[in-house]
Amino acid sequence: MRKGKFGIVAGIVCFSLCLMPFVVGQSRAEAPASIKVGASIALTGKFAGGGVDVADGYKIAMKHINEDGGIYVKEYDKKIPIEIIIYDDESDPNKTVARLEKLHSIDKVAAYLGGFSSAMNTAGLAIAEKNKVPWVGVTIAAEGVFSQGFKYTFAPCMFSFMEVTAFFDALDSLPKDQRPKKIANFELQSDWGIECGKYLKKFGAERGYEIALTEKYAGGTSDFSSLIMAAKTGGCDAVFSVPTPPQSMTLIKQMKELAYAPPVTCFIRGPDLSSYWEVMGKDANYILTCGEWTADMKYPGNEKLVTDFRAEKNKEIIGMQVGCGYGAVQVLADAIERAGTLKRDAIRDALTKTDLMTVRGRVTFDERNIGLVPYSLCQWQNGKLEVVTNPDYTTAKVLPAPPWDQR
Amino acid sequence: MSLKPKKVVVPALIMAVLFALPVFLKGDYYLTMVCSLFLYVTISQGWNLLGGYTGQINVGQSAFFGISALVTRLLWAGGIPFIPALLCGALASVVLSLVIGIPALRLRGHYFAIGTLAVAWIAFLAVENLFPGVTFLPGKYVATYSLLPRYYLFLVIMLSTIIVVSLVVHSRMGLAMESIREDEDAAQASGVNITKYKVIAFVISSFFVGLAGGAYAYFHVSYYWYLPFILMWCFEPILITFIGGVGTIWGPIIGAFCYVALKEVFALTLGEVNVLIFGAVFIFIILFFPKGIIGVPEKLREYLFRKEKGSRAARQKNMNV
Repeated sequence: MRKGKFGIVAGIVCFSLCLMPFVVGQSRAEAPASIKVGASIALTGKFAGGGVDVADGYKIAMKHINEDGGIYVKEYDKKIPIEIIIYDDESDPNKTVARLEKLHSIDKVAAYLGGFSSAMNTAGLAIAEKNKVPWVGVTIAAEGVFSQGFKYTFAPCMFSFMEVTAFFDALDSLPKDQRPKKIANFELQSDWGIECGKYLKKFGAERGYEIALTEKYAGGTSDFSSLIMAAKTGGCDAVFSVPTPPQSMTLIKQMKELAYAPPVTCFIRGPDLSSYWEVMGKDANYILTCGEWTADMKYPGNEKLVTDFRAEKNKEIIGMQVGCGYGAVQVLADAIERAGTLKRDAIRDALTKTDLMTVRGRVTFDERNIGLVPYSLCQWQNGKLEVVTNPDYTTAKVLPAPPWDQR
Repeated sequence: MSLKPKKVVVPALIMAVLFALPVFLKGDYYLTMVCSLFLYVTISQGWNLLGGYTGQINVGQSAFFGISALVTRLLWAGGIPFIPALLCGALASVVLSLVIGIPALRLRGHYFAIGTLAVAWIAFLAVENLFPGVTFLPGKYVATYSLLPRYYLFLVIMLSTIIVVSLVVHSRMGLAMESIREDEDAAQASGVNITKYKVIAFVISSFFVGLAGGAYAYFHVSYYWYLPFILMWCFEPILITFIGGVGTIWGPIIGAFCYVALKEVFALTLGEVNVLIFGAVFIFIILFFPKGIIGVPEKLREYLFRKEKGSRAARQKNMNV
């Protein structure tokens, strides 16, 4: 009798155990076919040059993640491929708003990736905050934007204070007798340009450099002769600015025409684009620019990115924003994996705790969600962007520029 | 004067549909697109009153749009309730139009167009230099942001613009404006005070463009201060009005619909070549339908009539032979 009862109990237990996987399987929600992530990027219009680079970075990162099976999401206990939906905002911030609304309400993306340029991203991150969708973007450098108390926006890229620090690091790396004594700040009248001007004065005073001249110009300015002549007659031996990409070319051409060749010229924006050398040729030599990412970086995964990109696009020079875009996808994918779910709030919470080694170096975020990334500056040296300041490594030393006819 | 039922029922039905539309539009995307459509109808209709009906080409609409956006946003962010802030913005736009219009509209020829373009460019540069940063809605507004009140604001402004422009152009004042467009000398000889009517058209146009600028400031959570001043706001209303049909009430409405809807469909489906294709469509319209889309039926009728006339003549010729 007892034996019979034991048999019945054992049978029930075995039956239950056999059913367990099915029961557990049933209670787990069905995994989506893909993790949708959306971006509105300038693929046409005046910001298309940089926008295409950012989009390429996103696409190649997505390809690499999917080759590995996708992102592991604990909620579904499986790897799910990532799908990036990219819309063209035509370099128009109004379109950015509409496209991000579409990605949110029609495409139901789990998160946004940023576009290209501060004007587009400023419009975009406000929509992300309104819709409570995590946003990870890379081409925004003004800190002020991140002082609004927004919770859903993250920018793993260099900000104004980092760029100015890197500039002074570059000056410090020169032999003492070659260091510039008088710095001219050509200050673009934008929040970013003004922030940089503020940090130039602050850090310059702390590090023993004189900001001898501050000349302001607007975003639409195309004649810089008065600024250049003021710097030349003032004996400034270094120039710092954050011009728009077309202005960065005009400035160099006009500096050459006016025979003004300071040993150090640093344009944070413009010379960082892949097309800069193609357009400017040898005149680009010795120009310092933002060095957020280069093909030479020895961070894990970078070699694969570079090899695959070159094979796919048949292009030797890779735009800086390709690597930055790639890094942004890495940061987002890592946050989704750590969140273990596709719920937006959980992804947002995971992003705040990011500590990840990406193709552009280690990324963490401060309390404003500003990315703390390696401060880095590059210099064009014979058609190649060499890393000249970086906390982790450099590929070349800063070279003071000779007169124009010797470049 | 007796109104035909059709003249009341159709607009009433359209209005009822527009007021009920948010119930059927699921998701913020469609509401955003419709808000954008209403905005373009308003600024194009504003341009049409001065450019299409009065013949004064304003190429500096961004200054009037932008000044209102700037004043509205500054006052609203400063704690003034939105509606008074919006009216102050529109008033600023009117004041600017008077300051520019009274001297500039006395001149004939292209001076007014060149003058307004110069004002738009100066305004853009001034704002870019004086307000280099970004304007954000205060946190409390972001937390409670909803598109619904924005939708109704854009709708009311658009309907007011259409109604006022329609009333003006169908009045004696409208006749005076059209006479100025056709021949200023003849209008003056007939006793029309041309400067007065030009200034009135400019003021009405700027008021509604100003309201649209204020609504823009209400709509966007964040933007660079200079963005409402970019020259795109000068050229897009002209483009839209020409696509739809210049000097007609329906022209800017049809033009804005095509501009917003077609551009969106092209952008989402054709990728980077969309700009090229849209440009080709625009050139096609201007070349073959100079009266805009609204002139297409007339053009087709003309074409068919000519074809019919031609074949009748050929038949007649054959019979004679």
